[in-house]
Amino acid sequence: MSRRRMLRMAANGFGSLALTGLMHQEIFGKDAPSKLAGNSPLLDQGPHYSPKAKSIIFIFLSGGMSHIDTFDPKPRLIKEHGEDPGKKYKLDPTQFNENGTIMASPWEFRQYGESGIWVSDLFPNIATCVDDIALIRSMYADLPEHANANFIMHTGMSDRGSPSMGAWINYGLGSENQNLPGFVVVHGGSMPLGGIDMLKSGYLPVSYQASLLKAQGEPLANIQPQEEEQLLQLAKLKYLSKADKRLLDHMGPVDELESAIRNYELAFRMQASVPELSDISGETKATKQLYGFDSQDEHTRNYAAQCLLARRLVERGVRFVEITDPFPGNPNPWDQHGNLKKDHERNAHAIDQPIAGLLKDLKARGLLEETLVVFATEFGRTFFAQGTHGRDHNTTAFSIWLAGAGIKAGTIYGSSDEYGYRVLENKTTIPDLHATMLHLLGIDHKRLTYPFKGRDVRLTDVHGELIEGILA
Amino acid sequence: MKWVLPIAAVFILGLTIGCWPEDAHSGLPDRVDFNYHIRPILSQNCYACHGPDESTREAGLQLDGWENATAPLEDGGYAIVPGKPHKSLLVDRVNSPDPEHQMPPPDSKKRLTAHQIALLERWIDQGAEWKPHWAFILPEQPKLPRALKQESPTPTTVIDHLLEAEYKRLGLHPSSEARPSSLIRRLSYILTGLPPGPEEVQAFVENYSPESYEQAVEAYLSSPHFGERWARHWMDVIRYAESTGHETDDLIGGAWRYRDYLIRAFNEDLPYDQLVLEHLAGDLMESPRYHPETGLNESILGTAFLCMGEAKNFPVSLKQEETERIHTMIDVTSTAFQALTVGCARCHDHKFDPIPTKDYYAMYGMFEGSRISPWPARIHLDFEEKLDHVEEAKQALFRWIEHQSPSPPSPAVHRVSLELDANDHGPQAADSLYRFLGDFRNGSFGDWFSDGWAFGSEAVYEEAIFNRSSRQFQWVENGYASSRRLVPGLFGALRSPNYVMEYDSLLVRARGHKGTIRLIVENYQISKGNQYGGVQHFVDDREWKEYVFDLSLLKGSKAYLECMPGTYHTQNLDLRAEDYIEIEYVVAFNGIRPELSLAKETSQIRIDHSPIQLDAWIRSYDSLSLSVYDSTHFVGLAKGDPVFSPVAVRGNYNHWSEDRVPHGFLSTIQAGPTEFPQDGSGRLAWAQSVVDPENPLTARIMVNRLWHYLFGKGLVETMDNFGVQGKLPSHPQLLDYLALRFIEEGWSMKRMIRYMVMSDAFRRSTQADSLNLAIDAENVYLHHYSVRRLEAEAIRDGVLAISGRLDSSMYGQPIPVDYMPFLTSFKTHKLPPESGPLDGAGRRSVYQMVRRNYINPLMITFDTPVPFETVGQRTVSYTPAQSLSLLNDPFFHQQAQHWAKTMLREESITIENRIQKLYLHAFARKPSDPEMLEALEYLQMIARTYSLSLAGMEQDSRLWADYCHSLFNLKEFIHLL
Repeated sequence: MSRRRMLRMAANGFGSLALTGLMHQEIFGKDAPSKLAGNSPLLDQGPHYSPKAKSIIFIFLSGGMSHIDTFDPKPRLIKEHGEDPGKKYKLDPTQFNENGTIMASPWEFRQYGESGIWVSDLFPNIATCVDDIALIRSMYADLPEHANANFIMHTGMSDRGSPSMGAWINYGLGSENQNLPGFVVVHGGSMPLGGIDMLKSGYLPVSYQASLLKAQGEPLANIQPQEEEQLLQLAKLKYLSKADKRLLDHMGPVDELESAIRNYELAFRMQASVPELSDISGETKATKQLYGFDSQDEHTRNYAAQCLLARRLVERGVRFVEITDPFPGNPNPWDQHGNLKKDHERNAHAIDQPIAGLLKDLKARGLLEETLVVFATEFGRTFFAQGTHGRDHNTTAFSIWLAGAGIKAGTIYGSSDEYGYRVLENKTTIPDLHATMLHLLGIDHKRLTYPFKGRDVRLTDVHGELIEGILA
Repeated sequence: MKWVLPIAAVFILGLTIGCWPEDAHSGLPDRVDFNYHIRPILSQNCYACHGPDESTREAGLQLDGWENATAPLEDGGYAIVPGKPHKSLLVDRVNSPDPEHQMPPPDSKKRLTAHQIALLERWIDQGAEWKPHWAFILPEQPKLPRALKQESPTPTTVIDHLLEAEYKRLGLHPSSEARPSSLIRRLSYILTGLPPGPEEVQAFVENYSPESYEQAVEAYLSSPHFGERWARHWMDVIRYAESTGHETDDLIGGAWRYRDYLIRAFNEDLPYDQLVLEHLAGDLMESPRYHPETGLNESILGTAFLCMGEAKNFPVSLKQEETERIHTMIDVTSTAFQALTVGCARCHDHKFDPIPTKDYYAMYGMFEGSRISPWPARIHLDFEEKLDHVEEAKQALFRWIEHQSPSPPSPAVHRVSLELDANDHGPQAADSLYRFLGDFRNGSFGDWFSDGWAFGSEAVYEEAIFNRSSRQFQWVENGYASSRRLVPGLFGALRSPNYVMEYDSLLVRARGHKGTIRLIVENYQISKGNQYGGVQHFVDDREWKEYVFDLSLLKGSKAYLECMPGTYHTQNLDLRAEDYIEIEYVVAFNGIRPELSLAKETSQIRIDHSPIQLDAWIRSYDSLSLSVYDSTHFVGLAKGDPVFSPVAVRGNYNHWSEDRVPHGFLSTIQAGPTEFPQDGSGRLAWAQSVVDPENPLTARIMVNRLWHYLFGKGLVETMDNFGVQGKLPSHPQLLDYLALRFIEEGWSMKRMIRYMVMSDAFRRSTQADSLNLAIDAENVYLHHYSVRRLEAEAIRDGVLAISGRLDSSMYGQPIPVDYMPFLTSFKTHKLPPESGPLDGAGRRSVYQMVRRNYINPLMITFDTPVPFETVGQRTVSYTPAQSLSLLNDPFFHQQAQHWAKTMLREESITIENRIQKLYLHAFARKPSDPEMLEALEYLQMIARTYSLSLAGMEQDSRLWADYCHSLFNLKEFIHLL
């Protein structure tokens, strides 16, 4: 490993403090962010263009939210409810080949706001924010298997091994906060199918991988000191500091040892900063209510805590925050091959108020101007039933939306056909989404590369076009 | 970086580090070498458009070969005129300021430096000599002084001689030998993955001599822990995993047996060429390798690594899934054994290396034509002999019965019905309503494959079958395939050739006790339930029945049928001693099931008297039967139809070429059989081509891997890429010497490792001299031994060894990972799997479960690679998560407590002595005086917190646990210094 590479891995956006500073009071306070030389490819040269967004909050609905039941109304389905879909199309193979008849949405759609965007009754609260969002109704995913599609959504590639987008962004920009990791997943107790590798750093240095934070309980793995008293850990750290310094004096400058020592300082600071981050006792009652902390629905309360934590993270300069579904143990809660009505309602109810609360809170604090919020799922669902009351996977058209920094608010971009089966205009791929997200952060997706296997590889591989139509 | 390195030296060595000096012509090498100076320039800047890939070639210019590069250009003139740089348009174009004319074109954002241009000019001036890429030229024996040529056991190795040449040239003064305490810790961790015991350290340090060093090397090489350590290295290379990942993360049957196989192989110093042969063709070897002690077939376990890819649960396109699966097989095989990225030739000819797509699809056919199969894991040397005994006992039994019973019933009547049927399975028109795919009633398997032993080489026909439970004999006139031909419970699989599914349904007439019939579509192995219309039936009825498969969703797909005794599901086989399956025929049909004249029932043979004698016979027959029963299995490869794959046009699995690619090795390498056999899968011949001493890559790659594991960096830094885009060797002569020596010494990995660790280079101190660093900051020339952080496994195993918790037992079922409360919420369908003990039952990390979706977080934190591709060189990262883990992970606290308790058992010992012992254990050295003072100071501070008296301190386990824990956290603990 080259010395430069080593330093880059060690630094990861965390400035280096003098070793001797460890035990001083100042480590509990706020250090001014230092210049992070050698930290990331862009810091040396500045961003590719002036960024609109400082941070991204990526809301991921795992399992495949039905677009035609939420943000893409299809009145024709009401007329043709019960008819044979095979008469309309030569249908693609579906996962279960249990194709039923055309199924109208069980929910009504209404128009909201000045933009008049239609939203179904599943999301009455998000509906009140439509004038802040740009809705894309022409998303297209390549593969209908969850794990594949989840990997593509997170890493641009369909199998494990490639870095997650949050890792790319931290590799590109570094973190603004020295005491927190730059890529955080606020998880609700489940991991999308395909597993944790979609949040890892792949072939990028491991320091760029996601840190998993929980909104409740122990927020971060191993953040809780095990010593009976804080004094004991302090004494231990002091001893380590002295002994390690002695070693360093003896060895001379050795990157490896210096890096390891620096990380203890950061770890120590994280022990303070992470619990502080999770401590929401300072938030007002009104704020908590806005997010849904007082909901009767336990899932809503959980998700409210996740969304609030996401705001607190971007407030502290964390670059990329992903929020996962609030259903512990259920890796793909949106995957309604059956029970569409009951389960989509359960899911939507859990997230509707917290997401609306997050958008409003960010806006009120002026944070929405520098934060990009992305609301996404890995694919949509079919216009015909699976069995009698479910829907199968639909990759050839689905909906997502974006809000906040650099986004043309109150827009609808692209469309699907009258059945929501195929994209009609402005086909938009996941790499297009990735390219646009990077763009808003001031990164040219074609220029953010990493040498791997003899190639300069990137998040968007050889794809990706900016979605100009949603940019302000 | 300050440029202090004498320039000429760098050129000769061909390193592309740092930037070139301002004056382009100063320090040009006298003789420009194509491989070390020119190719890197062309490859980096020109090959994307003027390289081997035809599809992206611009202007018809190809710069990857002498003939093409010197040929007349489409627009007139010549890119390269040897000897005449000024007539060479290449020189003109790279110098041109005109954006229209300039090369590389401005939008490529590439620009040659003045020095690179000067090199090109001089090279052309000197005749533009072309050479094949260095790695494709056979290794050459370097010129050595006479004294070194004689094989002497002195520790002055050729390694040091060749390194010395570079020191001299560069003005480096290598560090002196490391302290004995460092050496013993280094040796122990690197060779066995465990720290040396305190007594070991003391003995070594007190009596240190060159001889004692050599003795220590021998001891570690022959330690069983050696295999555990080195198997894990190899597991990175072949992306070892025990489950398939994706949605359901199914366990791969018996994957861990392959891990045990590796440990044994490394411990027994299995020659590397044999290891390669077994990995690619262990099931096809004429004389498989039987373990000298256990007598078990080892070779067959090798192919398990090819079955350790990921698999998806519900792929919509099974064809696409197959292309992905085979792609990973090609990728891991070509990078692990040939350090070439053949995977890049999937959609187009390789952009940089001479690897055409046809090489990729030759490998594709090799793997598509191999079948994934369970195999018994314990095939004994005398297994076949035992089977013969069973056969003999059976014959003897039958002779006795014939003697006892009335004459067997005449078969004549039944023959007639069979002959009538004979018309049913001749060649038939495509629109026929039905077609026999297999018919075993005449005693032949036809074109079906019988793997394993259960079904034998032909169907039963006109013979008696003994039914153990009813103690009856049955006389069989009409034939059928039977897995209890000899005895039930024997492993075997009867598989059809590949068919393209054209009919609506498939009917299998079968009977048995716990048998499995599976339709394997596009080689997809983990079908579940009624996926794809239902592709498996479990047979559990002793009466003949028809098992029908609905093929309507699978028309046009390739598939074969597989019949097996036992229950086989998602690559896990449950085979009991009483299980069997019998199949009469297999018919594909459209519409209503065809009326077929059914075979005659078998007739019972009654034994009316003398049961005592019969009992004795049966008992001996039974015990012989049990002696051949094996309940174990693993998943590996078996033979299949030869497949000559077409090329997927631009890698599209829906678009295949007309032409098919014959079996063959990588076309750029002249090694292996001259005539590649075109029957079978070609796997064995491919493997033979890898280990042929005429293969320029294999030995170099492996010695480079060994070097990397010993020194922390390969002589070729890109372990897994010896292609044009890989790095050039830092010491080409040394690499060649070691490669040739490796082959000469029978591909012995232990001998090579011994040779390397006996070098002075391995024994150097980690203290780097600042003058040396100014010349060679990256320590490319090994002027000192680089500080290394221990791998995740070594950290965890070291902690267990030191705490006294290490359970040294070897082999066996993997230990489930502890999912700690924080992670247990990440469950998928049927998960989380069982959570294991926090201390992993004290077993070494190599025995911890490698479940793709649930890999031990501690391992990942310290850079154990995620198993998806070959990793020759692990990342070494430094993250705060590592510090948090060492500080707060309950595992380290638990082990610190264990260590403290173990240590406190020894009473009446002073605090100072205790600290000394702990130091010795953790760092293989005694603390210095200031270190002792600091430790005492710290202990007193803890004692105050716990309000302990001096006497209380001596025996307080909390206090000592705190101290032990802090030793795990000292940087020295996780580093080799």
